[in-house]
Amino acid sequence: MSMPVPPLRRLHQVPRHLLVCEKGHLRHPRSRHAAHVRDHAYSCRVSFLIPECGILPEVLKSTIADVGEYYLVRNLSVHELVAHEFIDAFVKKGSCYALTYNTKIDQDNTAALLPNVITIDLTDSGFHPDSKKHKRVLWALKEKKPLKFDFLLAWYNTGAEGSTLMSYFSKNQIKALKPKITISTLRDLQCPVLQSNELHGKPEESCSTEELFEWLGAVWNQVSLDNKSSSFLSTYCCPQPNTVVEKAFLCTITGFIIPEKIIQLLEQLCCYFGEPKLAYWLTLTVHGFADSPVSWRESEHGFHKGGENLYNFVIFRNLDYWLQMAVGTNDDCPP
Amino acid sequence: MEPPAVPAATFERRVVRSGAEHHYLRVRLELPDGGARPNVAQFKQLVVSALRELHGEVGAALPVDVLTYEEKTLSAILRVISSGLVKLWSALTLLGFYQNRRCAFRVLQVKPCGGWTASPVCQFSL
Repeated sequence: MSMPVPPLRRLHQVPRHLLVCEKGHLRHPRSRHAAHVRDHAYSCRVSFLIPECGILPEVLKSTIADVGEYYLVRNLSVHELVAHEFIDAFVKKGSCYALTYNTKIDQDNTAALLPNVITIDLTDSGFHPDSKKHKRVLWALKEKKPLKFDFLLAWYNTGAEGSTLMSYFSKNQIKALKPKITISTLRDLQCPVLQSNELHGKPEESCSTEELFEWLGAVWNQVSLDNKSSSFLSTYCCPQPNTVVEKAFLCTITGFIIPEKIIQLLEQLCCYFGEPKLAYWLTLTVHGFADSPVSWRESEHGFHKGGENLYNFVIFRNLDYWLQMAVGTNDDCPP
Repeated sequence: MEPPAVPAATFERRVVRSGAEHHYLRVRLELPDGGARPNVAQFKQLVVSALRELHGEVGAALPVDVLTYEEKTLSAILRVISSGLVKLWSALTLLGFYQNRRCAFRVLQVKPCGGWTASPVCQFSL
């Protein structure tokens, strides 16, 4: 039997949240960085920051130009996503992702399609058109509880010929969309000093992973990094030790972005350090949908106070990396 | 001068449970009378007085940073030490007046240090 928390202690409590910090080397044969990206299916925003860089690097130009389209299909019945024509045309020929658009996870029905669906395994050999299982699922979704949503869809085609999502859903209101890309250059930016081997930071020598993560939030939200400790409004300042870089390149991609594209971007960011560069590190931040039903793999995700499920890479010049994965209350720990 | 080369980092993983030092609140002040909007200093003063009203002088001494403020929309990102989150949130929720004008704070999002790098809501409009 657990003791009730005394009222005064309750006053100091916060919602439970998790931050997983990993460090490793990107070229290590057993590095799990790509698996972490693949396991996080639904991303709505990908941002990267490169210190000592003023324009989009050449090595990234083609990846940014080809982030890939995604689609919005209005009023789509869920049972159409378990139809065999759909499974044969898309699920079996690549990685297909779908997520209901504009549904709030804590008050609306929500549906999602992962490439490796477990709840209803569309690729199960027992799930053929005449099987009892298939008929039961179709009945449940068509008649017992017919559900219709607006869906965001994306498909990573493994090269097989066949129909496209646009032609398959032509009778629904399907619209192809391109992710939005915004870029900017910051001047005279205070950046924390980091040492790849020191995840916790070293006093007077380098900052910790938590300090870096907080600083990154300040940069993305255009928070002043230079307040005095006596300031009435804000005392936040860049963690110490830090250096001032003359310029830093920021790029944000907003849309329905699939893990395969993020892995490509990560690879190209590694290639950035293929030639000598002034920067010691760069960052890649990926935000999941706040109302996604899952965070990593099939772990249930909830909104609670903020709906956070995001991860951030720090890639060092020597291809060491730090990876921070953050989830909120009631979410399982990322793998 | 180039720093000395370091060997590749060994793998390390650590999980921090509810360890964020600060929490971040995205808030919006509603002033339905459409009158003059407070500037950032007046906004901060309002937050301090809300804390004083509910939690006394000890509450008013709680360090709260106004990290961003947009006067046009009266929205802000506040940062508070994690142990002060409940005091700040409750004080903002129960504040009803600004200079004798009816007002209300809407707390739109609350995030721990690790998660606050997201924009207001990580969805987007199409």
